[in-house]
Amino acid sequence: MTRLLVLLFVLLAGPAFAQAVVTTDNVRSELVSEVATVKPGEPFWVGLRQTIRPKWHTYWKNPGDSGLPTEITWKLPEGAKADPIVWPAPTLFEIGGITNYGFKDESVLLVRITPPADLAGPLTLAADANWLVCEDVCIPEEGKFELVLPSGNAVAPAPPATRTLFEQARRAVPTASPWPARYGLSKAGDPTLLVEARGLKPDAISDVYFFPAEWGPIATMARQNASITADGIRVPLKKGDAKTALPADLAGTLVLTEKTADGNVRQAFDLSARLDPAFVPAATASLANAVGAEQLSLVQALLFALLGGLILNLMPCVFPVLAMKAAAFARLAGHERSEMRRDGLAYTAGVLASFAIMAGIVIAIRSSVGEVNWGFQFQSPVFSLLIAYLFFVVGLNLSGVFEVGSRLAGVGQGLASRGGTTGAFFTGVLAVIVATPCTAPFMAAALGFALSQPAPATIAVLLAMGLGLALPYLALSMTPALQRLMPRPGPWMDRLRQFLAFPMFASAVWMIWVLTQQTGADGVLYALGGMILIAFAIWLLRIGSGASAATWLRRGLAAASVLLAFAATLKLDDSPATAASASGGPAAGVSFEGWERFSRARMAEAVAAGKPVFVDFTAAWCITCLVNERVALETPGSRKAFEQAGVVKLKGDWTNRDAEITGVLKELGRAGVPLYLFWAPGADRPKILPQVLTESLILSELSSIQQAKR
Amino acid sequence: MSKLNVPRRSLMIGGAALALAPAAAFASSSPDVGKPAPQFTAVDSNGKSWSLADLKGKVVVLETTNHDCPYVRKHYTSNNMQDQQREAAAKGVVWLTVASSATGEQGHVTATQANDLTKSRNAAPAAVLIDPQSKVARAYGATVTPHMYIIDANGILVYKGGIDSIPSSSAADIPKATQYVRVALDQVLAGKPVADASTRAYGCSLKYPKTSS
Repeated sequence: MTRLLVLLFVLLAGPAFAQAVVTTDNVRSELVSEVATVKPGEPFWVGLRQTIRPKWHTYWKNPGDSGLPTEITWKLPEGAKADPIVWPAPTLFEIGGITNYGFKDESVLLVRITPPADLAGPLTLAADANWLVCEDVCIPEEGKFELVLPSGNAVAPAPPATRTLFEQARRAVPTASPWPARYGLSKAGDPTLLVEARGLKPDAISDVYFFPAEWGPIATMARQNASITADGIRVPLKKGDAKTALPADLAGTLVLTEKTADGNVRQAFDLSARLDPAFVPAATASLANAVGAEQLSLVQALLFALLGGLILNLMPCVFPVLAMKAAAFARLAGHERSEMRRDGLAYTAGVLASFAIMAGIVIAIRSSVGEVNWGFQFQSPVFSLLIAYLFFVVGLNLSGVFEVGSRLAGVGQGLASRGGTTGAFFTGVLAVIVATPCTAPFMAAALGFALSQPAPATIAVLLAMGLGLALPYLALSMTPALQRLMPRPGPWMDRLRQFLAFPMFASAVWMIWVLTQQTGADGVLYALGGMILIAFAIWLLRIGSGASAATWLRRGLAAASVLLAFAATLKLDDSPATAASASGGPAAGVSFEGWERFSRARMAEAVAAGKPVFVDFTAAWCITCLVNERVALETPGSRKAFEQAGVVKLKGDWTNRDAEITGVLKELGRAGVPLYLFWAPGADRPKILPQVLTESLILSELSSIQQAKR
Repeated sequence: MSKLNVPRRSLMIGGAALALAPAAAFASSSPDVGKPAPQFTAVDSNGKSWSLADLKGKVVVLETTNHDCPYVRKHYTSNNMQDQQREAAAKGVVWLTVASSATGEQGHVTATQANDLTKSRNAAPAAVLIDPQSKVARAYGATVTPHMYIIDANGILVYKGGIDSIPSSSAADIPKATQYVRVALDQVLAGKPVADASTRAYGCSLKYPKTSS
């Protein structure tokens, strides 16, 4: 009877005053409820769903440079309560140099309503909402909404379509950041945000943007050149216009896009960063900002690449090569100018050819990116170790332990020591070989940018960098005025050469430090041990000469030492798992609480036993995996449902590229995580769930097997 | 686990490379309060040229405008803007309304249209500057209309921000709001520091020329 009355009330009274749907010129707005029947005193959710005219937008709680946030003023019966709007993650708009934060197409603003505990009869929700909607021009619009909901002893959910709407709306709301965050002020007073998400893969993350929660402390910026570093996500910001000091806690929403095997996933996190006085970021941005660098135009990218190449000349490991070249050049002094020019050109050609080859490798890797699993060779500890060896050997050579031209010095140097044009060409090659590893992580970031570009742009960027590297010497060989500044050859050249060994050793030390970051303390043992073996081999080879049996013995021993030194690299490759323990591990590792470790055997056994099996392939660096766990897999509701259904929960940790898991991924045609498999009891094949999970999706999967049982 | 550790040192080296990055490539940045106000020269709706340098010794107010913007309309239909213009003129303050909408954009006016608007709205600025290339607005990093600036007699920017404290399009809010510009002008004229020297400006986004963004 009551219900009938309510129905009558809604039909007759409702539309006469205000309604649930308001259509204005640019927005269709609807007040929707997640429940069809409310229970007195029990909170429920409503949403203001706004469908915005194409190309127009409304505003977030911090609208940015201009605009106003949407406001809802509630008129509720006594004892009822409406909480503040829960905002979806915003989108960035840039129009004519003005930056705004808001929503396009559709937004649902969620509000939690608590009906009075003594509610009798229907609950009438009345709201006045006003919003600003803009394209080029801005129009303030408003609407009066009314929603009448019957009450009862139990909550009755809204129809499925409405529930789906709320599900999607919740998915659009930022989740609490799984990582702690802090921020520091540069000397100029500009804040840099550091989200301590360790161990992320820089090339898988793009479009990082921090939306400050309110006007004032942070300037509204069109661009933030965020970077992914070992410490986490760094977002350099600009201080805002409020004259007050920056707050102790800086609140906002961090949005990023993660490239997963199945495509890009946008994630948003609410965070509050505390001011860390000990954290004083450098004022400048860095070229390693591959993430933000995507917004660079090609011309800018080429310019930066050229600059970067120039700076490579100052790197401690390249400098000796250049100095060697300069010394050789001094020897050439007085020769034909055309010869010098040819020399300079040959050197440049050597550098450019090496960079072209590198570009080829980059493109080849990209085309098979599924197989390299987003990882890059520069991350390999083996590579770091080999480079440390190279530095060490070149250092020994410079300090005069053995001479250039000996067989151990390697082909590059052997050829480089040749006179004439060929020699100059291979010095160029050597410069690149030495420069590349020395700057490996820096190059990795630059290559990360290059990777995101089409092939011609990749080649252009790398060649520009090569040109930058070759430029000083090229300029020297082309300009007689500069040549006159070169000192005369003499004994100082030997002394200089010996001195240059020290930056080389320093570079080796640095590479070993990089190695420690990758492998842990054991890496030092292998690296330094290997170096002793190499030095030992060189010493052996330098004793005496001739073809006596003793010489052969020494040669054999030397070869064995070198082999042993290189065997260390195999050892390193075996134990990448030590990496986490060494670098302190990521802030949020993979947790196995409530889960069994995945193995093919365990999965097969559980499936054969007719049990439902859920497999979660995850990794500590996979943000989407982390979010799915928080919002879908580890919610109290999902946990309970898993338990009730008697599901065997297996988790595969792919943080360190487990071979068994890689095999499974490959079989299923996947290049990476996240991947979720669900075996219904008795099924002969698993169902692959979407890579973005929701709690309701998990619950519906689980309830489908419950129903099947009955 | 964390296989890619980009050592800080390499970032510094990269940083050196980008130290030369063109900061100018980024969107207009606004001048700081307490620093000399950016210079400008512009022609008003009567053909007279105004230059900030010539106004030394006088307190100057800049008001960006776009007569079709609902927030500008809020302060003109309520007479709030005109009242403040008159009060300022009575105190010897030079109030310059700056029509900075680019040619072809909402709020763009010719000199004649600007004079007609002044007449029909009974406005009382010292002059309406015609700024169709948004040069004045850009120099001050204006983002909205109305965006308000006060420059003291020494040419120092002493206030930037909104006209008042309640960002809404409803004229009913005006009496409840703190009129930041009025308060700041009183403080400047009394030789006191401005208490709220930088506030949130609210309104329609300034209609900069499209091609230059």
